[in-house]
Amino acid sequence: MIEIILIALAPIIGGLIYGLERVVRARMQNRKGPPILQPFYDMLKLIDKQAFIVNPYHSILGIMHFVTLWVVVAFVILGQNLLYVVFLHLLSALFLIIAGFSVKSIYSHIGANRELQAMIAYEPILIMTAVGFYMINGSFDISIIRESSPLLLSLPLVFLAFLMIIPIKLKKSPFDATEAHQEIVGGVEIEYSGIFFEFLYMSKWLEYVFIYLLLILFAGNSQILGAVLSVGVFLLVNLVDNSTARIKMKHLIKIVLGIGLTLSMINLIGLSYV
Amino acid sequence: MFDFKPIRKKSPWILHYNAGSCNGCDIEILACLSPKYDIERFGVINTGNPKQSDVFLVTGPVTFRSRERLIELYTQMPEPKVVMAVGSCTCTGGVFRDMYNVEDGLDRYIPVDVYVPGCASSPELIIDGLVKALEILESKTKEIEKPFKLFRNETNKDGVVNRRNSALKVGEEIDDEEN
Repeated sequence: MIEIILIALAPIIGGLIYGLERVVRARMQNRKGPPILQPFYDMLKLIDKQAFIVNPYHSILGIMHFVTLWVVVAFVILGQNLLYVVFLHLLSALFLIIAGFSVKSIYSHIGANRELQAMIAYEPILIMTAVGFYMINGSFDISIIRESSPLLLSLPLVFLAFLMIIPIKLKKSPFDATEAHQEIVGGVEIEYSGIFFEFLYMSKWLEYVFIYLLLILFAGNSQILGAVLSVGVFLLVNLVDNSTARIKMKHLIKIVLGIGLTLSMINLIGLSYV
Repeated sequence: MFDFKPIRKKSPWILHYNAGSCNGCDIEILACLSPKYDIERFGVINTGNPKQSDVFLVTGPVTFRSRERLIELYTQMPEPKVVMAVGSCTCTGGVFRDMYNVEDGLDRYIPVDVYVPGCASSPELIIDGLVKALEILESKTKEIEKPFKLFRNETNKDGVVNRRNSALKVGEEIDDEEN
């Protein structure tokens, strides 16, 4: 029962995280910042706005991106197979990329291209994380992973690699070249407006829930460690976001694949000899 | 039915366009977004994307070259929307009035809701203007407002729509033979 309530409230929880994050980021920059319910005001305003439809498939693919992401979050909460979750998440990202290529806007094309390149960077590390969990527990089931002892102790390097892909997924500096608000004006989301942009805006919130739920898996059955991890990573990601500049797509792939994949490989190879 | 109108003024997303300004007003607008004045506390985001914005901030006296982009951006913004003319040049043409390359202010081309004077207008004045603009935004309907000068038809050459010279100059009449 509690799972169903959590699944139904997942976008709202994500919206609260996003609102809190905007306040925290403002306080770090010595500003007052918007109210914590600001994402919901934005959402209600976007319902009321006039919507332009560039082509029907573009709009429908945006909605499908949101729905698939919600299904992914639901599977994580219900404790399904982690490998399946990773690949379903890949599908939701693919919908957005196809939507980006379905319009004529050049910015949308560049955004979709960069989204594909970012996928090359973060997808192997997500799979490596799943494989790491499998090597310890002998199962990809999230419900079994949740009951094991804290995995952070045996997967420290995989955890570091996972930390590197959080800014890519959450569109944060230094790895936010996929969105790049000042250069390509949001990339794939540029042609969305009104209620269709709202689905993209809300899928951003679901992305927060998804990433933090995966992060808590590293804590295993220890709830205190899970709380410490999520709060600590939340502050760390925002601190890094405020203090670094955006890097190029080429360097993003080099850094994330070069360092992240190597770290997680070393960890997994070491694990297989223990 | 839930009434969305009071929500509108809680999340104004702005689009900033420089129609030939000297950058003075642009810097003041950016100063508004900086930690000292921080208009993000009203929910303002500088989107840079016309399809997702509510408030159109225009600076500069609208030069001859910038007028087509101005109207293009204005028509791409979804209703309801408000237009703010920031700076003396944008309100009336300022010191550039009656020059050959300047169109004498924003209201010759698109309907303006709030005029913010000053050369350059101070951040406090811009915030006052924004608060006034949000009151107007609340009372707006979703009816489409048309720009004044977009009269000429688009020319279609080899299947490519050409929007060059789609906006007329001030005082220019439509040539019937051309269309």
